[in-house]
Amino acid sequence: MTRPTTWLAILAVLASPCLAAAAPAEEKESNWRLGAALGYGVRSNPLVQSDDIPIIVDLDIAWFGEHWFFDNGDLGLTFVDNKALTASVVARVNSDRVFFGKTNTRFVNFDVAGAPLAQAVEFKPPDRDYAIELGVEMLTGGNWGALQLTAFHDISGTHDGYELYADYSFGWRQQRLYLEPSFGLSYKSSRLNNYYWGVTPAEAGVVTLPYEADAGVNWHARFMVAYQLDRRWAVSLVAEYERLNDEAAMSPVVESDGVLGWFAGMSYRFGR
Amino acid sequence: MMRLLALSLLVLAITPTAQADDLELSVKPLLCITDNRNSVCEMSFLVVWESGERGYYCLFNDYGEAPMRCWSEESEGQLTDDRSVRETFSFWMTGTDTANRLAEVSVEVLRMDSDDRRRKRRTRHVWDIN
Repeated sequence: MTRPTTWLAILAVLASPCLAAAAPAEEKESNWRLGAALGYGVRSNPLVQSDDIPIIVDLDIAWFGEHWFFDNGDLGLTFVDNKALTASVVARVNSDRVFFGKTNTRFVNFDVAGAPLAQAVEFKPPDRDYAIELGVEMLTGGNWGALQLTAFHDISGTHDGYELYADYSFGWRQQRLYLEPSFGLSYKSSRLNNYYWGVTPAEAGVVTLPYEADAGVNWHARFMVAYQLDRRWAVSLVAEYERLNDEAAMSPVVESDGVLGWFAGMSYRFGR
Repeated sequence: MMRLLALSLLVLAITPTAQADDLELSVKPLLCITDNRNSVCEMSFLVVWESGERGYYCLFNDYGEAPMRCWSEESEGQLTDDRSVRETFSFWMTGTDTANRLAEVSVEVLRMDSDDRRRKRRTRHVWDIN
């Protein structure tokens, strides 16, 4: 079995030509940001009959040009970048879909009112599609911390809704030790909320009732601690809690009103 | 073939560079981290050296042409160096020939923050821990 460090070394060799090309002698920052974290973590799944999402490897693949950038699946075009503000148009994949890929089929013996059924009925939380969303992202920051504001709308015709998001973080460093608490809010429109967390009459059966979700606000809090071992290696621990909006939490396919996740591991940054 | 290899190792072992192997130089800390709030590292470096032979040794660093300190008829020594640093630099030891570095240690200065705000953006992918 190939050891993880061997794979890291192979990736480092593969990445080195582009990194070298982007890093002249005056130590100009590379356009690339390539990293990998190995460890263990779990992200809970709020859906009924679902499995938590294990996290063993977290890859960080990003490229930042003067205007264009790619950041772990997000594609952006920066149109304002000054001392006060960085603003970009960004295309991304909606993140709510991730929970729907880890659901299970089970046979249920009770109906929606709790009465026993004559014959067990097959039930699985409904499937949902990925949505491509386009929006505007604004970043600002200083010694007071960093603020990220985004507004995204579906352009794939999946849910036809939109999301407004705000996140504030404050990083504090004491040499190798880095602490970063952050928190924020996310407003999800009724169409977005209802697409992911609602239950259509066609999906409802004897086990669950139809449900229509209205707009709602999620909030989240996150804490990260990292210790830099050397130029490339760091030990990282991160924990995050996201409270689903009440409209989503009351859905019959949701059993938990929050998503709790954590990850602990070693992270490696290529080309630094 | 094995004889040739053994002979080569013997020749290497008796060349003048062997003197470098005799002298051990250690510096703590070896890593200094800066960010947007603190662009300068104000550190106290403990430099310790030890040689297998008594002699005349001098300690240098990249911040000056003159030696920081020299020791005469000593086989070990140490020095505390308080300084503000912004870039990676080195400490090294020489003997009487100051052009010949017997041992060298680099102190890395690592800048963690970027001027590009986009590099700190939160993506909704798994963990963003890098």
